[in-house]
Amino acid sequence: MKTYPLGEFEEIVLLTVGVLFDEAYGVAIKDAVEERAHRKVSVGALQSALKRMEKKGYLQSRTGEANAQRGGKPKRFYTITAFGKLALQQSKGIRTELWEAIPQLAFDFKHA
Amino acid sequence: MIKRLADRLFRWFCHPDYYPDIRGDLEELYQRNLEEGRQLEQWRYLLQVLGLLRPNLIRSFPQPTLIHPAMFRHYFHISTRNLLRQKLFTTINILGLAIGLSSFLLINEYIRFEESYDSFFKNADQIYRMSTVQVVNGEVGEKDAMIYQPAPQALKDELPEIENATVTYKFDELVLRQGTSIIQEKHVVSADSIFLDIFNYKILQGSPEEMLTEPNAIVLTESKAKFYFGDQDPLGKTIQILGSFNRPFKVTGVIQGIPENTHYKFDILISDGSIKNRRDYNSWNYNNYYGFVKLNKQATVSSLNDKLEAFAKKYTDENTKERFTLYPIQDIHLKSDYTFESEISGSEKAVSFLRAIALFILLIAWVNYINLSTARAVNRAKEVGLRKVVGAYKLQLIGQFLLEALLINLLAALMALLVSELSLPYFNQLVGKQVMLHVWNYLPFLLSLLTFFLIGTFVSGFYPALVLSGFKPVAVLKGKFRNSRSGAMLRKGLVVVQFAASIILIANTFTVFRQVQFMQGKDLGITTDYVVGFGIPNVEKDQQEAHNNKVKSFADALRTHTAIETVGGTSNLPGGGGADISSTTNIIRMVGLTDLTDGTTYVQSNDEYFLDAVSLQLLAGRNFDRNRTADTMVVMVNQALLRRFNIHDVESVLHEQIQFGEDDSNGKFEIIGVVKDFNRTSLKSSVEPTLYFPDYTPNNMVLKLNPEHYQEGLAYLQETWAKFFPDAPLDYSFLDDRFAALYAQDQRFGEIFGTFSGLAIFIAILGLFGLSSFMAVQRTAEVGVRKVLGATVSSIIGLFYKDFLMLLGIAGLVSIPATYYGMNFWLSTYAYRIAFPWLLVAVALMIVVVFALLTVGYQIYKVAILDPAKTLRHE
Repeated sequence: MKTYPLGEFEEIVLLTVGVLFDEAYGVAIKDAVEERAHRKVSVGALQSALKRMEKKGYLQSRTGEANAQRGGKPKRFYTITAFGKLALQQSKGIRTELWEAIPQLAFDFKHA
Repeated sequence: MIKRLADRLFRWFCHPDYYPDIRGDLEELYQRNLEEGRQLEQWRYLLQVLGLLRPNLIRSFPQPTLIHPAMFRHYFHISTRNLLRQKLFTTINILGLAIGLSSFLLINEYIRFEESYDSFFKNADQIYRMSTVQVVNGEVGEKDAMIYQPAPQALKDELPEIENATVTYKFDELVLRQGTSIIQEKHVVSADSIFLDIFNYKILQGSPEEMLTEPNAIVLTESKAKFYFGDQDPLGKTIQILGSFNRPFKVTGVIQGIPENTHYKFDILISDGSIKNRRDYNSWNYNNYYGFVKLNKQATVSSLNDKLEAFAKKYTDENTKERFTLYPIQDIHLKSDYTFESEISGSEKAVSFLRAIALFILLIAWVNYINLSTARAVNRAKEVGLRKVVGAYKLQLIGQFLLEALLINLLAALMALLVSELSLPYFNQLVGKQVMLHVWNYLPFLLSLLTFFLIGTFVSGFYPALVLSGFKPVAVLKGKFRNSRSGAMLRKGLVVVQFAASIILIANTFTVFRQVQFMQGKDLGITTDYVVGFGIPNVEKDQQEAHNNKVKSFADALRTHTAIETVGGTSNLPGGGGADISSTTNIIRMVGLTDLTDGTTYVQSNDEYFLDAVSLQLLAGRNFDRNRTADTMVVMVNQALLRRFNIHDVESVLHEQIQFGEDDSNGKFEIIGVVKDFNRTSLKSSVEPTLYFPDYTPNNMVLKLNPEHYQEGLAYLQETWAKFFPDAPLDYSFLDDRFAALYAQDQRFGEIFGTFSGLAIFIAILGLFGLSSFMAVQRTAEVGVRKVLGATVSSIIGLFYKDFLMLLGIAGLVSIPATYYGMNFWLSTYAYRIAFPWLLVAVALMIVVVFALLTVGYQIYKVAILDPAKTLRHE
C-alpha cells in the first residue's frame, strides 16, 4: 500500500487549510491554528510546513491580490489537492483503526 | 530601525519565490500587532524573521567552487610548481618564517614560564606574602620582603579575613652529616604544618599534620631523600645538622620535588619547633622571616589596608613608620621591588623586552613574505588575467593565493618545529632555565605553533592574495601591466619597518652589553683581584670560646705562608646579594651634632685586617685595634652614611658619637674612622649607608693572595682548613667571581638579546636579498640601456643605492628615538648606569647600512656587469 508521509503539525495545517477553504493564506491559517489547536505558531514553522507540503503535492497555491496593509505584497492562497485528501484520509484511517484496536481494559483507570 | 534591519536580512536569505507572500504575512501580522498596542513589536518581528531561517525557505547560496576537489588539486599542483620553480624565493621565505616562528615560540614559552611562577598552588590568588615597608611622609621608602616572626600569626588572630598564616626562616647554608659524609645544604627553610597547607606540595610520605610539629624533625624532598638514603625508607632515620644546631634531626616526611617556577625554593624543611631558641624568634625587633598568609575567598587586599595600619601601630608602636603589606605571591617573581627577596627575582622589564624582540622577529619574517610575493606579482599577472577570462571568481583567486601562503607557512611551521626541537638545549642554556624538555610533545607549544601558523598564513598571505586577485584582466593581457605605485610604497614602508626593527635590536644589544661591561669594570672602591672569601663554621654557644681561639690560630697559621698577604675577617663578604647584610630601620643620630634621622642603616662587622685585605681606603681616623681594651663602643662609618646627615668633612665627625633610638640612655658608639664608599653588592643599588663594628672572630674570612703565587696560597689554605675544620667543607670563591655572578642575569639578558637580534637581522637581510635580486632582474633592460648610453657599473649601483639609502635614513630616524626611549627606561633601573651610548647606536646603524648595501650591491652588480648586447637582444 502506498503511504503518505504526514507529520503531526503538517496534518493540523493541512486540515486547517481545508477548514478555511478558499480563504487559506499565511496569516489566516496561523490565526486558525492558534485558535483551534491552542498552540503558538511561528511564521517560520508555518511557512516551512506549507512550502514542504506544496512540494509533496498535498497543497496547491495561487497568488492573490496585493494590498496596502501588507506593504504592497500579495497573499498566497492554499487549497488541498486530491493527493492531500488521500494523505489526510490515510492518517485518519490509521488513527481510527488504532482506536478500535485498544482493549477496553486499557482505559479502565481507577481514580483513587 | 530593527525592523528595517530584519527586513534586509530576510530579503537576503529568503528564497525569492517565497519572498513576496511571506513578507506580506509578516507585514500584516506586524501592523495588526501594532494596532493592538503591543510593546517591543520590532523585536518580535526580528524573532519571527530569525524563525524563518529554515533550510526549505532560504535561497540557494552559490556553492563556493573553491572547495571543489578537482580545483583544489589543481591549485595545489600550481602552487607546488611555482614554489619549486622559484627556489630562491621559496627558500628565503621558508627559512625566514621557520627561524622567525621558532624564535618567537621559544621566547613565548620562556615568557609563559616566567609568568607561571607560584601559580600552581591551590588557590594561588589567595596567597600573599606579608612584608614590611617604611612609610615616610606618606611615601613608601624601604621595602623589605621579610617580617617579624610573630607577625603573621598575630595578623591571623586579629583579622577574620585571614584564613591561614605561616612563618618560615630561610637558612643561608647548613652543614649536614649523614653517616660519614658531610654535605653543605644551601636550600634549607623552617616550616610549620600550615606551611604545607598553604603551599600544597604533594606529600609522599609522612603525615601532613604531624610531620612538622615536633622539634628536630626534618622533611626532605624526594630527590634529597634519595640522595641521603638511596632506596631505603627514610622515615625515622636521622641526619645530624652541624654548626649551631649540632644535634640529630629525625626524618618525618618526604614531599615532591620543588619545581623551578616558585620564588621560595627549598630542598629541606626543618620543623618550626627546632628554631625556637633563635634570638629573633618571637621578637618584634628583627624582621628576618618570610611570612605567608592565605586570605579567604571574599577578602580583597585593598580593603585591608586600614586594618594593616592599625595592626602595625598596635603591635609596634603608635608612631611607627613601619607598615605591613600583603603582596600577591604570583607577582613576586617578576614584579617585586622588595629587598631581601629569597632569591634573585626575574625582571618584568626583561620579559617585556623579550616579548618585543619575539614580535619583531616574527613580523620581519612575515614582512619578507608580503614583500617578496607582491613584488613578484608581475610574474603571476598573466596567469591571473587568463583565469579571470575563463571565469574565475575573485574569491577563488584569493583562495588560490591563500593556499599558496598556507603551503609555505605549513612547510615553515614543520621546519620551525624541527628547528625548535634541535635548538632547545641551547635555548635552555641561553636563558639558564629548563623551560621545556622537548617541544614536540609539549602541548602548549604545539598549540601556539598551530595558532601562529594560521595567523601567519592569514597575515602574510592575505594582502598579496588581495593584490594578485585584483588585477584587471584586460590591462594585464594587453601587456600594459605595471606594478602599482601604492604597492611599491607599501613595500618600501615594510622595508623601513624591517630596517628600523633591526637597528633597534642591535643598538639595544650593544647598550645592554656596554652596561654589563661597565658594571663589571667599574671601580668598586675595593680591590677584588686575587682576594678569596669563605665562611667559617658556626658552633653552639657553649663552645664559642674554644671556637674563637681555634679561628684565631687558624688565621695565624694562614699568615705564616708567604703567598697569603693578608687575612681579614668580616660579617659580609663583598659581592654578596642584596639580602646578605643586616640592616636596621631604627632612627639614628650623632649625639649633639644632628637630629634623629630616618632611613635604613646597614650594619657590618669587620676585624682590623679587613681594610687591608680588600684595599679599602681609610679616609680619616684610625682602624680597629684589638689590643685596646677600650675599643668596644667604637664604630667606623662610610661616606654614604655621612651624606645622609649632610656632612662632607670626614675629619669633622671623628670622635663624635652615634646613637640609635630616641632614648638618651641607649649606647653611644664613638666614630673612630671614616672609610671610602665601596660597593658591597651589585651596582644596581647605590652604596649603602653603613656602620662597621669591630668583631675579631667574624663568620667570614677574606684572604688577599700574592698574584704570582696564589695557587700555592690556595693549596695551603685547603691544607690548613682540613687540619683545623675536618668536619666542615671549605667553600671559597674569588671576590671578583662573586661580583661577576651578581651580573649573571644582566649578562644573560644581553646574550639573549644578542642572539635574537642576530637572527632578526639575518631574516631581514634574507628578505632584502630576495627583494633586491628580484628588482635588479626586473630592471635588467633598463640597466642595459643605461650601459649602452655610457653609464658605468658604479654609477648604476649608485643609482639603485639612492633609493635604499633613503629607506635606511627613514629607518634610522624612526629607530633612534625608539632606542633612546627604551634603553633609558632600562638603564634607569641601575643606580650606576652608563650615559646613553650614542656612538654605539651609530655603530648599529652603520652595521645595518653596510649589510643592506652589500646585499643590494651584490644583486645589482650581478645585473650591471651583464653585456647589454645580450640583455637587450629580446627587447
